Amino acid sequence: MSVYRRLVRNVRTACLLPVHIFLDTCREIGYTVNGVRRGEIPPSQPLKTLGSTAGALVMVSVLLFPIYWILLAALSPTGGSIYSSSGLSLLPSNPTVQPFLWVVGDLIVPAYSIAMNIPATNLAVVFTTPEIVLLDVSQYGVQNPSNFKQFLWNSITVAIPTVIISMSLIVPAAYALSRKEFIFRREILFVYVLMTQIGGGLGIALLIGLYAVYVQFGITDSKLGLSLYYAATAVPFNTWLLKTYMDGIPASYEEAAVVDGAPPWRIVTEIILPLSAAGLATVFIFTFLTGWTEFVVAQTLLGTENYTLPVGLFSLVSEYSIPWARFSAFALTFATPIMLVYLFAQRYIEGGLSFSGIEG
Amino acid sequence: MERSPVFDERDLPLLYVLPGLFVFTTFMLFPVVYLVGISLTNATPSTLFTGEGAVSVLTFGESTIVGLENYTDVLSDSAFWNSFGVTWLFVATSVVAKICLSVAIALVVTSNRVRGKRLLRSLIILPMGLPAIFTITVWRGIFSSAEFGLMNQLLTMLSLDPVTWLSGRWTAFFAYNITEVWLSYPFMVIITVSALQDVPSELHEAAMVDGAGYIARFLHVTLPAIKRPVLFASILTAAASFQQFLIPYVFNKGGPARANELIVVYGYREALAFSEYGRGAAISLVAVIFIGAFMWVNVKRGRLAEGVAEQ
Repeated sequence: MSVYRRLVRNVRTACLLPVHIFLDTCREIGYTVNGVRRGEIPPSQPLKTLGSTAGALVMVSVLLFPIYWILLAALSPTGGSIYSSSGLSLLPSNPTVQPFLWVVGDLIVPAYSIAMNIPATNLAVVFTTPEIVLLDVSQYGVQNPSNFKQFLWNSITVAIPTVIISMSLIVPAAYALSRKEFIFRREILFVYVLMTQIGGGLGIALLIGLYAVYVQFGITDSKLGLSLYYAATAVPFNTWLLKTYMDGIPASYEEAAVVDGAPPWRIVTEIILPLSAAGLATVFIFTFLTGWTEFVVAQTLLGTENYTLPVGLFSLVSEYSIPWARFSAFALTFATPIMLVYLFAQRYIEGGLSFSGIEG
Repeated sequence: MERSPVFDERDLPLLYVLPGLFVFTTFMLFPVVYLVGISLTNATPSTLFTGEGAVSVLTFGESTIVGLENYTDVLSDSAFWNSFGVTWLFVATSVVAKICLSVAIALVVTSNRVRGKRLLRSLIILPMGLPAIFTITVWRGIFSSAEFGLMNQLLTMLSLDPVTWLSGRWTAFFAYNITEVWLSYPFMVIITVSALQDVPSELHEAAMVDGAGYIARFLHVTLPAIKRPVLFASILTAAASFQQFLIPYVFNKGGPARANELIVVYGYREALAFSEYGRGAAISLVAVIFIGAFMWVNVKRGRLAEGVAEQ
């Protein structure tokens, strides 16, 4: 429950932030205007502030312009043209959601016939479910919609096993590393920290070895094989993260439970796990995103049928022609949910960054 | 109670850690060992993948062992040294650009003159929340020489001639750098901002009383205070730049004509695009050794794993 409540609070803070800033600004403007009128503040001061703030806004706009541009490209039928005969155009002319319809494609639940044999007779009852048309894009002039749904399904069937496998490896290990003392504990922690720093590039360098082994065992083009690999690469970072989180739970809670005669398994299920819910949620998100966003290994191992979303996105781009509107709509549909998750989990992710010894 | 030096009942919690460690080493360590093996053979797909099952995995199919020939071959190949040089150049240029940009951004979003800093800060690190493959394909589109490539539109607007960014060696290299900087400036900004906030304001006030101008204060008060964290972030981001794979691969596969293959791309393409598994493995291992040495020096010198030592 507390995770849910915290999420709601985060969403509310994020949504209210602009409102607060607007109110603060209004108050401050009023204060400054009064001050200048009464001659308490020299007029050059607010002008400097105004100038710096405007400069900062320009800087942010320039930096984030690529994101705005891709949105523009997705909404305009011409595709991403910011330069027209009438000069610079920063708003889409004739905005259309057709590219997004092309991405989503038909949403039709086909009619099924369900036959049930009545036992001990030769009779059968046949139900026919009606066809449910949620969205028929051909009505909106979209032919040959994208393979987005297939990519999405592949991504889901890669990411979910990744989460299940990695969580079942990470949670017990993090608990033991946080709460118990045993042989090789420090060595294992050291290896894990080292691996979080060099994991990514090492993964690609080792890809040749991995690929050769997968081919030998005939498990290329297997989504489960890919999930297993992702889960393995997610182990060091996430174990360390969850262990650090569990370190923050006071030992006195457990001691109190021991005094009350609680068996070890109840201490775990009723104290450790509920109290580390936020940490578990973070690890859940991270492991999910590992499978959801990885490109290189997926592209190397999977066949066209099993392409995940990142590989599908890449396959839209070719050297001399890019279907701008469709490409942008596809890219945004892929990235927006991740960006939203990131925005609301920002605090935890930044907290996770500090683990690597940055504070030292 | 007497504790046995080898294994003890109290060491049972090790069993909780072992599954994760086992899976991790299977997928990381085994490929390393296998990679070392392949690098000593003349493996190509036709020789490596003959035969079935576990036995042929261990004997590398029908490929023959050639010893260190791949390494001497690679190290005397000008293509390798080109890739090696480009990689270090890329690390140098992108890290310098990242430091300059991030420190500038961090100074702006912590400046007393700027209003709405909190909102600006959360906007500015937005690129961090985007999947790398999304960012890189979008930048691929920006530098595209197809119609409506953003960079060429901007050039046209300034009445300059469009450039075929990804077909020229140095223009493509420039494009890599811009993308790499955009990809990783949020990380640097977060660290620099928190370092800047730790600079005591009394120091600035004292310097102002002494009549120090903005630049003098930056050089003598701010810079010494943020040097260490920024250096630390630079080391980490340099390691990331050294291992950059996606940008060259997505942009033009390290082209034009393999001129810009960063070392990880070079090894990958040598093996999987040109079917020279032995050479590719040797190149990858050389790259791994460099990354490993780089990180090792930094772990030792920068005390990256301080947290572990305390435990």
